[in-house]
Amino acid sequence: MMPSRKMLPLMVAGGVVTVIMGFVVIVLLISWFSNPPFGLGNAPTQPVAFPHTVHVAENNIQCEFCHRNVTKGAAATVPAVETCLFCHKDIDGRTVTAQTEIEKVRTAFETDTPIDWERVHRLPDHVRFIHESHIRYFTDETIPVKYGINGEEIIESPDVAQTCTICHGDVGNKTVVQPKTGQSLKMGTCVDCHRVNNIPTDCTICHK
Amino acid sequence: MVAQRINHKWGMVVDLDRCTGCQACVVACQAENNIPINVKSFYQQRRAYQWIRIERYWEGEFPNVKARFIPILCQHCENAPCEPVCPVFATYHNDEGMNVQIYNRCIGTRYCSVNCPYSVRMFNYWEPQWPDRLRNQLNPDVTIRTRGIMEKCSFCVQRLRRGEVNVERRGIEPLTGESIPPADRKLDQRRMKEGNYLPACVQSCPTNALQFADQHDDTSPVKEYFDEANEQIETREHGGHVDESHTRVYRLLEEIGTKPNVVYLKKVDAFPLEKA
Repeated sequence: MMPSRKMLPLMVAGGVVTVIMGFVVIVLLISWFSNPPFGLGNAPTQPVAFPHTVHVAENNIQCEFCHRNVTKGAAATVPAVETCLFCHKDIDGRTVTAQTEIEKVRTAFETDTPIDWERVHRLPDHVRFIHESHIRYFTDETIPVKYGINGEEIIESPDVAQTCTICHGDVGNKTVVQPKTGQSLKMGTCVDCHRVNNIPTDCTICHK
Repeated sequence: MVAQRINHKWGMVVDLDRCTGCQACVVACQAENNIPINVKSFYQQRRAYQWIRIERYWEGEFPNVKARFIPILCQHCENAPCEPVCPVFATYHNDEGMNVQIYNRCIGTRYCSVNCPYSVRMFNYWEPQWPDRLRNQLNPDVTIRTRGIMEKCSFCVQRLRRGEVNVERRGIEPLTGESIPPADRKLDQRRMKEGNYLPACVQSCPTNALQFADQHDDTSPVKEYFDEANEQIETREHGGHVDESHTRVYRLLEEIGTKPNVVYLKKVDAFPLEKA
């Protein structure tokens, strides 16, 4: 049965509304599922393909050797080019790709141009996170029982590198660092961990 | 080492006898808290951002005239009128006696600013802007507030947190700079005081008209004023009469029952105006 003339505009309007609603639902679904725990967070492309696997897993370089400020201040900081040259003035790399990447670092050092690393973990501007105090807490041996970010008990005091993995995941075994693979780093994560560890949760601890 | 936390109750004493109205506190606050530069049109529209302002009053008639100054900042009231009206709890009272504004919760209803009897809450009508060369002097510890949210004096809470880190991690004794043994690194009244935690306005005041302390701190030089002010509040609450002729202590708009944590000391006029 053909729709009557009166029905036609109504059907068109209905179709338009369905399309718009569908669009909204799809956008909401994408924005919801692109966040952890489902995790579609892609790693940003870095100017130099730096493999954490070679440096940390194979050669056992400590986190704080390059991220020097992590036990001293708020930001972990990425290393200066000079820090890379500390080893790479002698070490050339085994594969051709490695050699080209190391060559980029040396050129940056010789031409005095800092490497423009892309930031992987970015907290909102209204959050003040201090790496130093968190590492100090977890590495402290005088606190008998600490709790990890998922509520698991940590009885032996971890070292600095183990502390990093609590939030950042096992970065040492990754060739590319992806955001939010260890933890979602949402406010709920922070507050949960503060609660189980009996740390103040006053808003001004992080937001000021 | 997690230092033991002690419930502080911060407070400020404003000695009007010492205030010369120099505006150093206003400038210091502007620099410390990333407050946008106020231009002429802001003042004309009465939308200038000033977390602390100096109000000026004239007394007498020319030529027999005197200027009076009152620095007015957020009073961090115990019964803050701004707190119950916020629909999203963006402003609340914390354990340390501070009235806190959480920027990321604020949705900009401006009820709090309407309800504030001291007019110390500033609304961001515009996106904050600085000249390019001033962007590098922004304080990294303080959030830059965007358009559409309320802001106000925080008693420089970022300095409090920094001071805590100084004691806990570095173990620096305030003022003397000596190192504190790790077991002794407590955030008590002895450590958290001048030399470690002072709001920017207090630090910059050239005449010490502004003084800041923990109200529970027995060693602070302004303890007596806090005690007297708290006594006055107590007496008033029980319907008693407070004789104010012998004391300099008062609080702004005390009669509406906000119980401010900022105490004012009256000016002592050595040469009072001759009354016509």
